[in-house]
Amino acid sequence: MLGVVRSYPIEIGGVRRELPIVKVGEGVAVALLNLLGDTELTEAAARELAKRLPEGTEVLVTPEVKAVPLAHAISVKTGVPYVVARKTAKPYMINPVSREVVSITTGKPQLLVLDGADVERIRGKKVTIVDDVVSTGSTLKGLKELIESVGGEVVGVLAVFTEGDPRDDVIALGHLPLFKPEE
Amino acid sequence: MTALETYPIHVGQVTRHVPLVETLPGMKIPLIEFLGDVELTREAARLLAPKLPEETEYLVTTECSPVPLVHTLAEETDRGYVVARKRRRAYMDDPLIQEVPSLTLGSSETLWLDRRWAERLLNKKVALVSDVVSSGGTMKALEKLVAKAGGHVVARLAVFQQGEPKEDFEVTALYQLPIL
Repeated sequence: MLGVVRSYPIEIGGVRRELPIVKVGEGVAVALLNLLGDTELTEAAARELAKRLPEGTEVLVTPEVKAVPLAHAISVKTGVPYVVARKTAKPYMINPVSREVVSITTGKPQLLVLDGADVERIRGKKVTIVDDVVSTGSTLKGLKELIESVGGEVVGVLAVFTEGDPRDDVIALGHLPLFKPEE
Repeated sequence: MTALETYPIHVGQVTRHVPLVETLPGMKIPLIEFLGDVELTREAARLLAPKLPEETEYLVTTECSPVPLVHTLAEETDRGYVVARKRRRAYMDDPLIQEVPSLTLGSSETLWLDRRWAERLLNKKVALVSDVVSSGGTMKALEKLVAKAGGHVVARLAVFQQGEPKEDFEVTALYQLPIL
């Protein structure tokens, strides 16, 4: 049906949105959450997730870039510092540590990189991972391995949504189903 | 291992001793990082807020380092914001594309803006916001991208200007960063 936008309704901490349903691969469409540019939804999600922060968390780690404002906002509310795992090594990084993960959605290898100074902020610390949506969990798995390889202990994972198969290893505010793309 | 050379940077009431990095032989620049620094980010946003023209409707930036700064500024000043991406994402539908002219051969960059977000900028008054502006190449490309989306740039803001300001491309920066 031309001209009809398919969407999926969500509510986070009293804030409602209609997420557009977009095709991301052959036979797969997702409800697209974009916290970038949505301060109201980001702040509401941060408020709800801050209440659920695993006890003893000393540092938050988030992958760039969509979850960065969320991690920042949780950090503001809880006083727990955050670190961003970058997706490319930057020329200015000092003693960076990296790990390659293969994205199940795109099939492409994806790099996760921690700058040396950030490694020092994670080593020996209790870490909670923050992401916007945990779907196949490939980024999550890579990030966990990266954090553990530099001596951090992952004590929990916070996400706004899980997606696809339900999972119990993530503290989420809701669950998104997968969709069939429209022909 | 030699001790890291640092340089003191002040943003309002916040001081950071940041690493000095040699970008070219004999040329060192202080390396500022807003990602992961809530206190610095909030102080910079507080100081940038009064520089934002009243008429501004949207803030526009690029991923990734200015994102928490722009989020904070947008929240504080009750404006919307849009982030131009540096890689094409699978969900992007008919995105607007803008090349960033490269300073060094072979390291060109492309800005991508999904049509859904581009549509928000149509006929809107836009302030470009960055953390650090040096050559201005990325911000110039961002301005072209906003024009393609039908937005009108009313201000170019940055926390730091690195090197000499460009006469043909003025940026309102809170501070100058030295090249040492």
